[in-house]
Amino acid sequence: MVPLWMYLVVAAALFSTGLYGVLARRNAIAILMSIELMLNAVNINLVAFWRYQKPGDVSGQVFAAFVFVVAAAEAAVGLALIIAIYRRRQSVIAEDMNLMKW
Amino acid sequence: MDITIQHGVFVIFTLVTLGSALLVVTVRNLFHAALYLMLCLFGVAGLFALLTAPLLAGFQVVIYIGAIAILIIFAIMLTPQVTRVIKTTNAQWPVAIVVAVLFFVMILSVVSPLMDELGVDDWNADFTQEDADRVPDSTLTDFGESLVSRDRFVLPFEIASIMLMAALIGAVLVVSPDAILRRDESQPPPSDTSVSADTGASGD
Amino acid sequence: MNFSTDVQASVVAVLPEILMTVLAVVVLGLDVLWPGERRRDLGYLAGFGLLAIAGMIWLPGLAPQKELSGQLVFGGMVRHDELAEIFRAMVIVAGGLSCLISMGVPRLRDRGDYYALVIVSVIGASLMSAAADLIMVFIALETASITLYLLAGYLRDDDRSAEAGLKYFLFGAFASAIMLYGLSLLYGFTGETNLYKLGRALAAGDLNDAPVLIAMMLIVVGFGFKISAVPFHFWTPDVYEGAPTPITSLLSTASKAASFGLLLRFLLAVFPPPDLLDAVESVTDYSEYWVQLVVVMSVVTMSLGNLLALVQTNIKRLLAYSSIAQAGYMLIGVAAIATDRSADGAAAVAFYMFMYVLTNTLAFGVVIIFSNATGSDQISDLGGLSRRNRWLGLAMTLALLSLAGIPPAAGFIGKFLVFRAAVDANLTWLALVGVINVIIGLYYYLVIVKVMYMNDSPDDQPITVSTPYGWALGISAAGVLLLGTLLVSPLINWATDAAQSLYVLL
Repeated sequence: MVPLWMYLVVAAALFSTGLYGVLARRNAIAILMSIELMLNAVNINLVAFWRYQKPGDVSGQVFAAFVFVVAAAEAAVGLALIIAIYRRRQSVIAEDMNLMKW
Repeated sequence: MDITIQHGVFVIFTLVTLGSALLVVTVRNLFHAALYLMLCLFGVAGLFALLTAPLLAGFQVVIYIGAIAILIIFAIMLTPQVTRVIKTTNAQWPVAIVVAVLFFVMILSVVSPLMDELGVDDWNADFTQEDADRVPDSTLTDFGESLVSRDRFVLPFEIASIMLMAALIGAVLVVSPDAILRRDESQPPPSDTSVSADTGASGD
Repeated sequence: MNFSTDVQASVVAVLPEILMTVLAVVVLGLDVLWPGERRRDLGYLAGFGLLAIAGMIWLPGLAPQKELSGQLVFGGMVRHDELAEIFRAMVIVAGGLSCLISMGVPRLRDRGDYYALVIVSVIGASLMSAAADLIMVFIALETASITLYLLAGYLRDDDRSAEAGLKYFLFGAFASAIMLYGLSLLYGFTGETNLYKLGRALAAGDLNDAPVLIAMMLIVVGFGFKISAVPFHFWTPDVYEGAPTPITSLLSTASKAASFGLLLRFLLAVFPPPDLLDAVESVTDYSEYWVQLVVVMSVVTMSLGNLLALVQTNIKRLLAYSSIAQAGYMLIGVAAIATDRSADGAAAVAFYMFMYVLTNTLAFGVVIIFSNATGSDQISDLGGLSRRNRWLGLAMTLALLSLAGIPPAAGFIGKFLVFRAAVDANLTWLALVGVINVIIGLYYYLVIVKVMYMNDSPDDQPITVSTPYGWALGISAAGVLLLGTLLVSPLINWATDAAQSLYVLL
């Protein structure tokens, strides 16, 4: 079987990719997609830890399932806010995000 | 360690996941980025399946790819990009690279000494067959029961349902055109149904 | 460690949340049923409903169980103790008062969905102060935050509000993803999700310090965002300025109070000082690390907050920087909790937060009335406020005196307790930095008082205060005054009880 550390490295790489995307992209939807990458990395972590640490106890899987729920709610809310702004400004603000300057 | 077929599958899924993740954060066309995001999510679903969590792999496909990624694609199509905007990244992208690499190195430095201490694994150890058997057959039923059991996760489960209701109502009202908000009495607003649906859910 | 399976105890532990859910559903239903002109009364229903639920916390039958084994309910998801009670009272009162002051905001006041979202946000915040499990912490935090993202952007006809909502959302989702990574590492180190089990497992295990430290830092980033501590404060001024003012008030009170309650519990339960875990010989002590993190954050937060507040011209931005500085003072108390066994530090934070909730609601309430009347948020336009409505001038003065820490307002006692706790915990220099900051703060708070009383106003039209505002401002002003004078010792006793329950690790 694949050892645990490989999964953790994959999760860390995925999280770092998302981190880069959040900090570097200008478009709000692109930033949202990068945040989804980060949440997926967390889920890989959780499921891998569940599998190798305590497979008899489902808490890790339940935790991951709640991350799904929250990710769905966050995506719905975020996209609603983006579309609301787009309606008023015809794209300008959603195109000019810079999280580090704020 | 032995190279098994599992390692091969793992490598494939990893390459799919990380490769498409890199494309998500770099390609200029947002629509393509969303498609790569779906591919990346498929890769993660594959990793879940390898980790003997088929339920979560299914969730991943149904919720993430089927709902969230489609929602993102809808949002991209509803907000047509101004094509004059050429730059995809802001001025800080070199800093962002440094931050991301530093983070990765930091986590690596955590992971490597951790393996011995966790007592489950070390840098080169292989998992034996009996470890694979440690996942009980009842995981699926445990999962379902724990969500509604008073001694496990029923409280977060109920709170999550309230949160989803609030997020849904709020999201609909934030994007709905003004005409819907100036409702006349003959036409009940859309939030009506979610109210009656929730009365049942929160009553227990 | 045992979980209580007693049904009655479990229901009592989350009774405020159950009642708030019912209230939210009733508000949504009446929004549909009532004709347009009556819908404004939904604000009264939501506001007084929340205040009544907060009042129920004092009912003797609903008090936390005395024996410790009865406190952890729902399989360890929440702990029903005095700490949960006091912070819960704060956030529910803050939510009720924000509903009342929402009744003066056009385009929000007659919308039941808006009040329902406020109530759901308060449900999340209230559970945060009781959560005792990683999963519960995460869900409660997100319930409070996701609704606040929406509420901050709820005035979508207003560019600044929509922008504030999006900004708050992107920052918030980013911060919670980072925090979640830290939580997943903590789960991975121990295989536990209950905070108390987790803390014991971490202390007993012989992990390297580095991994635990990194998980701790990632989690502190998330908390730092929620309490807007420097360097995670970037979003605060823009969001506070752009969001509808009642939501700004809610952000700076309920959300912050719940985060401080959770921060206290989380740090002591997950990274406890070794002497709290009796009977274990060789345990690892991680508390040194977070004390240092909190001390650094506290110094930077209060200094930067105060210095930047000096140059503001917009009253909402000024209050935003002032709330950053106030979070810095409260962090002094948090830094003191690790070494101090008389529970003064945590009690000081609870007392401070309680008075801060009332004070800030008072200040933002006046700001709404004022900007409705003048259409401006500029400090210079506050001129002559005291002549246009004497009571408004007095209320604002009381709020500013309390924020500045001048008796008889409650802020003086709060600051005194926090600094005393720091001195007792051998952090005298930190208390000194705090005192210097209080002196800097005096300047910009008193400048506003001067503008209100001395400067001329462009027009002398009297400003009228509508009934819901009368209630909201009256309740919070009375609270600020009483907590600074007559009610000091009852509140201190309650806060000390709460703080002592914090040191009992189950």
